[in-house]
Amino acid sequence: MTITGTSEKAAYQALKASDWHLEGAFDAFYSQPQPKSYTDARRLEDLYNRYKDAYADMIMADGITLLCSDILVDHQDIVMLVLSWHMKAATMCEFSKQEFIGGLQSLGVDSIEKLREKIPFMRSELKDDQKFREIYNFAFGWAKEKGQKSLALDTAIGMWQLLFAEKHWPLVDHWCQFLQARHNKAISRDTWSQLLEFAKTVDPQLSNYDVDGAWPYLIDEFVEYLIENGIIQKGQLSDWTQKH
Amino acid sequence: MNSSNQKKRNFQIEAFKHKVVVDPKYADKTWKILEHAITEIYNHNASGLSFEELYRNAYNMVLHKFGEKLYSGLVGTMTLHLQEMAKTIEAAQGNLFLEELNRKWNDHNKALQMIRDILMYMDRTFIPSNRKTPVHELGLNLWRDNVIHSSKIQTRLLDTLLELIQKERTGEIINRGLMRNIIKMLMDLGSSVYQEDFEKHFLEVSADFYRAESQDFIECCDCGDYLKKAERRLNEEIERVSLYLDSKSETKITNVVEKEMIASHMLRLVHMDNSGLVNMLIDDKYEDLGRMYNLFRRVPNGLPTIRDVMTSHLRETGKQLVTDAEKLKDPVEFVQCLLNEKDKYDKIINLAFSNDKTFQNALNSSFEYFINLNPRSPEFISLFVDEKLRKGLKGVSEEDVETILDKVMMLFRYLQEKDVFEKYYKQHLAKRLLSGKTVSDDAERSLIVKLKTECGYQFTSKLEGMFTDMKTSQDTMQGFYAAYAAELGDSPTLVVQVLTTGSWPTQPSITCNLPAEMSALCEKFRSYYLGTHTGRRLSWQTNMGTADLKAIFGKGQKHELNVSTYQMCVLMLFNSADRLSYKEIEQATEIPSSDLRRCLQSLACVKGKNVLRKEPMSKDIGEEDAFFVNDKFASKFYKVKIGTVVAQKESEPEKQETRQRVEEDRKPQIEAAIVRIMKSRRVLDHNNIIAEVTKQLQSRFLANPGEIKKRIESLIERDFLERDSSDRRLYRYLA
Repeated sequence: MTITGTSEKAAYQALKASDWHLEGAFDAFYSQPQPKSYTDARRLEDLYNRYKDAYADMIMADGITLLCSDILVDHQDIVMLVLSWHMKAATMCEFSKQEFIGGLQSLGVDSIEKLREKIPFMRSELKDDQKFREIYNFAFGWAKEKGQKSLALDTAIGMWQLLFAEKHWPLVDHWCQFLQARHNKAISRDTWSQLLEFAKTVDPQLSNYDVDGAWPYLIDEFVEYLIENGIIQKGQLSDWTQKH
Repeated sequence: MNSSNQKKRNFQIEAFKHKVVVDPKYADKTWKILEHAITEIYNHNASGLSFEELYRNAYNMVLHKFGEKLYSGLVGTMTLHLQEMAKTIEAAQGNLFLEELNRKWNDHNKALQMIRDILMYMDRTFIPSNRKTPVHELGLNLWRDNVIHSSKIQTRLLDTLLELIQKERTGEIINRGLMRNIIKMLMDLGSSVYQEDFEKHFLEVSADFYRAESQDFIECCDCGDYLKKAERRLNEEIERVSLYLDSKSETKITNVVEKEMIASHMLRLVHMDNSGLVNMLIDDKYEDLGRMYNLFRRVPNGLPTIRDVMTSHLRETGKQLVTDAEKLKDPVEFVQCLLNEKDKYDKIINLAFSNDKTFQNALNSSFEYFINLNPRSPEFISLFVDEKLRKGLKGVSEEDVETILDKVMMLFRYLQEKDVFEKYYKQHLAKRLLSGKTVSDDAERSLIVKLKTECGYQFTSKLEGMFTDMKTSQDTMQGFYAAYAAELGDSPTLVVQVLTTGSWPTQPSITCNLPAEMSALCEKFRSYYLGTHTGRRLSWQTNMGTADLKAIFGKGQKHELNVSTYQMCVLMLFNSADRLSYKEIEQATEIPSSDLRRCLQSLACVKGKNVLRKEPMSKDIGEEDAFFVNDKFASKFYKVKIGTVVAQKESEPEKQETRQRVEEDRKPQIEAAIVRIMKSRRVLDHNNIIAEVTKQLQSRFLANPGEIKKRIESLIERDFLERDSSDRRLYRYLA
């Protein structure tokens, strides 16, 4: 109850349904659709005004910093990405009024406390395959510069580190090293989205990597890089640290 | 006609009760008569017999229901006679055996015929209705059983026949007529007799014979000789069949020879050291090759064997040719070698391999393989053509020109990177046109037409544009001189070619400073031209022009110097200065330094063309070097050519640059192909796109799948295509 923030009754039901296994109970609880709760429009307006920038009708960097401290979340925490996704935010580090209010409404919160309580739920969404994919793909558009078609490499690497900390992919570090050594250019949307597919379908030993698999060229190069550097050897992922 | 010794009877005519009572002994008596007749026949005593009487006797026997007795009597009698004949035959010694057999066979046949005639009624009535063997056939069967298959004759006959054949094979003369008769006898006795009693063994023995002989030959003969011998044996057997064997045996015996003499030793022959197929190819041994082809085509896998060895040899020599560093120094020589090689093999296939299409194909695929091993082949072929069109074809008849150009086209077809060829061809053509150095306009155009036929309109449209520009420029010059005739009397003669930017190979143009006489003239031209063509922009390409200068040297030697525009600019400076440093020249002319260095080198450092003198006399051009007119300049020719505008093999950096430009040009072509395909297919999976694009671009170059992938991604980026949401290997066209 402390973790989920739910009522005793709901907790009891969840535990019973999962045969008193704690983890199962969490899964069951989080996967059920959340009841839509009533949000007060005026309170949302007030909340918006709290964070709104002094000069523009938007929430900018300062406002976001304040928001983060209010809900006790580090501004680099991935939960902020999930929150932005709920808001359908166009770009990082700013929320329009519509985005902010719309996002909170869809979450069914209208106060700082309720938002804080929603945080574990938002974290759990990352565990859902489908939602993770949506959030991941959303991240591309959100993280790139306005008006740019591609995502700057540094930003992309940062995002990947963040995202793949949640959904573990053993090759993420090699991927980032490879990009810095060999590519040094922005990342296209296609490459971004295909990378997730790659991480999900191809095993870290690359034993089921199909060279005719229509992977983006950059990923093919990555595979070559891995083989060249002995990281993948005849299907064996040799321990990088052991070699050096 | 003799009277019969039949008993005379009185016959009473009784009404309606006519009964011919036959004497029970009648049958025996009648039979006895016939039996006796048969014996007489076999004893060559038939002349005393009455055919009519005998026929009647046989007829009556059958009529009175004594057919069976007649038939069995016949069998018995004939058998006895045949057994006697067999004994006589068995008794014959040595060579007389066959003759005796033959004689007796003839006797028997004659007898049989007579007997059959006599017994014709039985043959036609009793025999069919009682399902007995007809007389003639019976006669043959009895002969077979009693003579041919008699224990003392059967083996001896076969052995004798085989022995005679063996003798003939070793060169002795035998009685072929006799052989023919005997063999015919066997054939007449039925195909199973022929096959069982003779042919089967004949084939076996022949196989052994040829196996042994081929083994001997292969140890001691070289390939050509062996093949001659094999051919001879084959012909001998064919002749043998036609002379005294059943024609149906021909295929069987030739198969034996082919198997033992050719098929078994095929690989050894082909790979024989110093005389095998490869040696024959190298030495153009048409006759031997032709023989090998004709013999090998008779055996399974024979021709593929020859073809494979030829192909691998050709690929090997071709590979060596294109990677031979010596040859690569001279592109024209390189291409000539390729043409020679092609001619050589064309001739071989024509003269020895009867223009076999599969060999032609093997030749083509081999050439395609090794020509493309060397990435400079397209450039070299273009240089070859350049040499021919500049001077090589001078004085050559029109027909021969066509032949040479057709041969070049044939090499062109083998190229995988035709777009690289196009790039070089354009460059070389530009130089030829601008320096006016083409041997024959007709030849140039003829080649363009051939390229158009091969590759389509797009390939040659720009090239044709170049020709058009040349022609138009001529007209422009006429107009210019007509308009300015009065003013230009004293000026140097100017010839301008106006080039349409899109058609000519792109060159970055940095204009240098022209000498005053020229720049004034050039300005006049510019205003004339722009006067008639508003909206156009002209830029002087000073790196591509030429000039003819009249020069007088220190000792009064007069020469006409043919130089490049840059060289002219430099030389003209010496009309107003005796000594100029590199820096001064550079400043005055504003020629880019690398070009200037080359230019000065060509004017001062080349023996026979050193119209300038340099201090110090080194080959390199230093910043502080000083230049003077070479008053001592001497040349036996009045006209001296110092220009440096001739097409030559590219240097390494130039080559890289061209290659890069080609790669860049390919990108839009790949994209266009992708868009074309996706527009019509709407949805297509990855592998199929790659295959289709490669196929579409095949006629120009071999598209790299990696590059195609990159282009696809670029098109996705630009929202021409998208990946299918459920199957990431599918691409969708976005309208």
